[in-house]
Amino acid sequence: MPIIEAKNLFFRYAAAEKYAIRNVSLSIRRGEFVLLTGPSGCGKTTLCRCFNGLIPHFHRGVFEGEVWVCGYSVAETPPNKLSKHVGLVFQNPENQLFCLSVEKDVAFGLENMGLPEAEIRRRVEWALRVTGIEELRHRAPHELSGGQQQKAAIASVLAMEPEVVVLDEPTSFLDPRSALELFDLLKRINEDLGVTIVLVEHRLDLCASIAQRVLAMVDGELALDGSPAEVLCGEAIRLFGVGVPKSIRLYQLLLEAGVELEHPPLSAEELADLVRQKICQ
Amino acid sequence: MSLSFLEGLQFRRMDSPIHRLDPRAKFVIALSILGYAMLFTEVIPLIVGFAILLPLVFAAKVFRMWVRTIKGVLVLAILIFAINWLVTPDLAMAVGLALRFVLLVAAFSLFFLTTSPDDLGLALEQSGVPYELTFAFTTAIRFVPVLCREAQTIVDAQRSRGLELERGGLLKRIRNYLPILVPLVVGAIRRSVDLAEAMESRAWGVSEKRTSLYRLKMRGRDYLAILLSAAFFLLAMYVKLLSNQPLLPWLL
Repeated sequence: MPIIEAKNLFFRYAAAEKYAIRNVSLSIRRGEFVLLTGPSGCGKTTLCRCFNGLIPHFHRGVFEGEVWVCGYSVAETPPNKLSKHVGLVFQNPENQLFCLSVEKDVAFGLENMGLPEAEIRRRVEWALRVTGIEELRHRAPHELSGGQQQKAAIASVLAMEPEVVVLDEPTSFLDPRSALELFDLLKRINEDLGVTIVLVEHRLDLCASIAQRVLAMVDGELALDGSPAEVLCGEAIRLFGVGVPKSIRLYQLLLEAGVELEHPPLSAEELADLVRQKICQ
Repeated sequence: MSLSFLEGLQFRRMDSPIHRLDPRAKFVIALSILGYAMLFTEVIPLIVGFAILLPLVFAAKVFRMWVRTIKGVLVLAILIFAINWLVTPDLAMAVGLALRFVLLVAAFSLFFLTTSPDDLGLALEQSGVPYELTFAFTTAIRFVPVLCREAQTIVDAQRSRGLELERGGLLKRIRNYLPILVPLVVGAIRRSVDLAEAMESRAWGVSEKRTSLYRLKMRGRDYLAILLSAAFFLLAMYVKLLSNQPLLPWLL
């Protein structure tokens, strides 16, 4: 059974005239690392909200079709109940930390769930360790850098031991180095813990290589769905205005010039390796 | 626009015997000094009040911040003095009333400087205040530095577009702040929607009985502090009764 499944999903916000999502059907398997991309305003954020019940319970509007997440129908399960199964990390790290210390923030969801103190302590320690922010535990959010704040937000979601973590452009407030660190963390969470990850991202240069699958949305519809190499090498993605990784672009230019690398490289390192290999031949 | 006056209220994480006291014990200390200040309008007992408070401030290692808070309310104290002096020509009484006000602020300043808002929230929670309220309180404090920074950004942005804040008469100056206030409030409202979304996504209100990572526990030293505060207040009351005056002269 897929862990996320949407069938003919439509959504229109109460105040809007246009549908933000139109006829989206998709299914995501347990343990997959899915990259969701597309130009601004294409409905990525709206789709994320459908995965944890913020739509239709928090943002009202016209909701048609079905979404099933971890066996729960999103239309019938409010977000606070779904949060045990799906964690949502938002774009602005500042607005998802409410408490005066990192530790307390990581404990926030667990306290809401009414877990016993010892269990909260255990999970907080674990989440801080996994995200590598143990030494920041007593800091207040405003004393942290954007990257540290976002790690704290991920820790507070992980502590709830969700099966799926959805991240809505988590690096847009971060510099490239912090972004890379964050992607590395997500990769470990996916591989070591088996958590399904849905990552909404523009910076494909930095994250294309860690995803197993790329979805591209345009104008509220799911336009492309396939492996990173398939989707990113196609002609269609460039027409949507999604920034294709430079390594792929170079691969295509080399191809036009008559040099064929073994496969499309998804990162600069991979490109370097392939070129080296080619030269040695 | 300078926001430095808020610094005096801001808690800094530190370690001292006073910081380690339970917030409830510290609150009782502050209350006992409040009670004490209410008993007297004479200058000498009020100075004695400061003399008792001062060692605590030093023990808490917050002297500089504490002085800054007091400086911040000095204008108000002078105002109280001036008004009282005008109304009653009793100079000693006017000085006493101003001093009493400063002592009150001084006592509660020590409380706020040494109590983390988190602990304060926890103390409220454990005293039976609904979690929604204590959460609103701690979150408000958490966002003070964020909003301050945002206000500064808006001031800079509007200034670079030619807004002159320090120009014109009083009314004009107040009106000058409108282009600052409107984006600040709109931004705060938008932020609150984000916050609500994030709270929903973190199981807000999912369980009837909310638990807590920390619990405050009163220790021996906390009981001792409460006992001493009570004794101090009762002693002051006894002295006051001996001096044969009405118990509560002039409530400020």
